[in-house]
Amino acid sequence: MDGLIQQKVQRFEEFVDRRLKPDLVHAIAERDKVFEQQEVFSNLRRNIENLEKNSVTSLQTMVNLGSEVYMQAEVPDTQRIFVDIGLGFHVEFTWSEALKYISIKEESLANQIQEYTRLIASIKAQIKIVCEGIRELLQLPAER
Amino acid sequence: MQEPVKGTVTPLASLFPPEEAQKASKRVQDALADRQSELDLLQGFIADNTALVNLVQRLPDELHHDIMVPFGKAAFFPGRLVHTNEFLVLLGEGYYAERTSKQTVEILNRRGNALESQVDSLKAMMKDLKAEVSFFDATAAEAVEGLVEIREDYVEESSSERVIERGPPKPDSPRFSGEDSMKVAAEDEEYARMMLRFDELEKEELAAGSGDEHDEDEHNEADVDHSLSQLSGDHVLGSLEERQVRKPLHHSKDEYATTEELLSKKHFEEDFANQLKSKIQLEGLKEQSVPKDSDDVSHGKSFANRATQSSSHGKDNIQALPTSKAETSVQSSKPATDSLKAFTGSIVEHTRNIQMNPREQAASSSQSSGSQPTKPVSRFKMQRR
Repeated sequence: MDGLIQQKVQRFEEFVDRRLKPDLVHAIAERDKVFEQQEVFSNLRRNIENLEKNSVTSLQTMVNLGSEVYMQAEVPDTQRIFVDIGLGFHVEFTWSEALKYISIKEESLANQIQEYTRLIASIKAQIKIVCEGIRELLQLPAER
Repeated sequence: MQEPVKGTVTPLASLFPPEEAQKASKRVQDALADRQSELDLLQGFIADNTALVNLVQRLPDELHHDIMVPFGKAAFFPGRLVHTNEFLVLLGEGYYAERTSKQTVEILNRRGNALESQVDSLKAMMKDLKAEVSFFDATAAEAVEGLVEIREDYVEESSSERVIERGPPKPDSPRFSGEDSMKVAAEDEEYARMMLRFDELEKEELAAGSGDEHDEDEHNEADVDHSLSQLSGDHVLGSLEERQVRKPLHHSKDEYATTEELLSKKHFEEDFANQLKSKIQLEGLKEQSVPKDSDDVSHGKSFANRATQSSSHGKDNIQALPTSKAETSVQSSKPATDSLKAFTGSIVEHTRNIQMNPREQAASSSQSSGSQPTKPVSRFKMQRR
């Protein structure tokens, strides 16, 4: 009887360690990525709003050529922005169009984050269930 | 030689269990994989660096370049690169340097060299790790096969002479076969005897004190000469030169230059020949050759006589040399010689000794080789008178 219980306990533990925990780690990583993207887009939006506010027509920036070697660059006309919409495409926008796009993008990103959060929560719940089962097998049911 | 030797037989598997060897091999392989990934990273950096160098070289060709200027991570602005010869290079720790294209290329080249040296060191490490892995694998395979390690105690050689002769013991040196071994044994004994006598003479000399440096030198040199001559005299086989060459090789004590010894030996022979000649002039032919006691050491003298006998037989042309010439040559070299170069002093003594003590030498020549000289220093003094 004990041997059987031991076996079951071991199987449960293995399940937790090998399946559930890595799944949890994956899900959290994906969610973090989405968080980052969200941050990027919110920054962009803030910058565009700034530009609009100050009516900036031209910019001077430093462009990274690679390995932290910079070169001066000039943007003569800031009216047109090319925004990355995914899958390697960049769409030419005006400021207002860009802002509209960004808000839509941000919404979808928020949805994605929600999804991931739900997934993470379910994985966590599963882990908890298995642990409880192991505890029940090992200890007297009276102890709760 | 064939006594039962104690030994241990250990299966290699017990020393290096195969599973552990395999585990160790695996660990090293993991480390190897890490290094490999680092190496790939570094090589990526190097590739980027070279690409950047090319870019930096090409950019000044134009005044402006139309580019897409990034605005954050997700947006671009169409724009132009201006001031195409001015580069801002990060030197590290928040320090930047504004440089031209050529100067930037130099900086990047230096970076590339640093990266290359890192790559080289990494490669060396990886090589070592690979060697480890192969060793572990081989050990595991051997252990699985059941290879066995055998250890045996080393049994000292029976004859001490052999030990003396060999200097550092070479137990694994193959025994020469047949006559060779006999010859070797004979020579070994000869050499051992000579060495023992040499030790004794040295002790006596030291005990007698530094009465006369000249005497000591002569004594030393005489000993050397005697040992040399003894070697040559006792072994009719082989040439004298051969013996001379062998003696310095075997003789660990005498650090005299072999050339010096050869020279001295030649002089010695010459001198003996001269003495022989003078002897012949004085007394007769054969008798004088025997009591040719050039040194105070009696037994050494006897050997020297024999040596000179054989040498005289072998080298008649040497006798033709005039005695005076030998002496002058000896004397000219004498001031240049140290105690290491014996002949000069001894040769001078020899001529006088022969004339003075023929009877002594006749008596001493009959002595055995193992006899010790009674008081070498005093004898020299006597002979000088």
